[in-house]
Amino acid sequence: MPPDPGSFASVRTGELALERNDSGLAVLTISGEHDLSTAPSLRRRLDNLLGDRTATVVDLSPATFIDSSILGVILDGRRRATEKGIGFAVVHSNGADAVDRVLEVTGLRTELPVHARREEAFTEATGAGTPPA
Amino acid sequence: MTEAGFELTVPATAENVIVVRQAIAGVAEALGLASSRIADLKTVVTEACNNVVVHAYDGDPGPLQVVAEPGEGELLVQVADEGHGFRPRANEGEASMGLGLPLIAALSDSFEISGGAGQGSRTTIRFGYSPPEAQKNGKPGSVAKELEIALTPGVIVRPVLARVMGALAARAEFSVDRLADTVLLGDAVSSSGGGDFADGRVGIAIKDAAGTLGVRVGPLVEGGGDRLMSEMEVPGAGSLRSLASSMEVTKGETAAGEPAEFLEFEVSS
Repeated sequence: MPPDPGSFASVRTGELALERNDSGLAVLTISGEHDLSTAPSLRRRLDNLLGDRTATVVDLSPATFIDSSILGVILDGRRRATEKGIGFAVVHSNGADAVDRVLEVTGLRTELPVHARREEAFTEATGAGTPPA
Repeated sequence: MTEAGFELTVPATAENVIVVRQAIAGVAEALGLASSRIADLKTVVTEACNNVVVHAYDGDPGPLQVVAEPGEGELLVQVADEGHGFRPRANEGEASMGLGLPLIAALSDSFEISGGAGQGSRTTIRFGYSPPEAQKNGKPGSVAKELEIALTPGVIVRPVLARVMGALAARAEFSVDRLADTVLLGDAVSSSGGGDFADGRVGIAIKDAAGTLGVRVGPLVEGGGDRLMSEMEVPGAGSLRSLASSMEVTKGETAAGEPAEFLEFEVSS
């Protein structure tokens, strides 16, 4: 029997891609499988962006798997962004069921919140530039 | 072990959790679980493994053992270590947000953690599924420094080996072509039927390094290594052996000390 090409995509460890739009908003896209082994590189990317006071959108749409360590890094990023008054938003649009399920079960879909459309996330991240009271 | 029983031992490192996750997904696939349940199982097992990676050992990683046994309508998964048990840590880095155990609780049917100081810890997870029939015939496994898998011959072997070898090859940064070759070699081992394995289980040990996977198949009965190699001949297309950078039959012994053969091969990126 030939190998199932579908298995290959799912076993690739995760990748991170960073883009910036014209208004300076950073979009950090998380694809593939992410867990304890990739959490440090996600944390470094977020550290750098927040250190530069860059408004950031984390896009989970192409992720096929995330665990609690990834959720922890995102939650921590959200907390630090809020403290410093930096725009921060999370989007998961038509993504993997496995990621949906984890966001749902942990309550983070509403807690973060996680937007279902990129445009909504961009709006939140660019409009949240006010320092906390 | 049951007809689809599974044991996997890897060094308890963050990089090996994806290997365990893919292997358990292979088990679930072979058992016919729905894709949403496979996703839940991957999350639950990942979180249990994370606990071992973060809490069990100081310094060099010790063994992380995962055993899966299908039973009546449920899959029983045990994730165990030989470390010093769960200890509170002031700074746990990435795993500090406390979502792991709630995820296990929410996505499994039940779970429990046992162990104590100096005894290692064991997370036992019950995971319901709509089952084919299973038979009882249990046996515990051994522990090693390299990745070791023992599988009952049958439908479970191919999906587990394909996923594990695929995950390791991807981690070793193999190209897509070489990744496919690696999975083909795993398929060749899977299709051997298991009759030549000395203790009745398909045993595979894999060492991975940058750009190379070293695979040891066995213990095999006498002549089993040559038969496995001859089964890699594809009429009109040569041999799958050419996909490996080296392949040889070596002598060794079973866990019980009986003489045995192993088929050893290396695949390079």
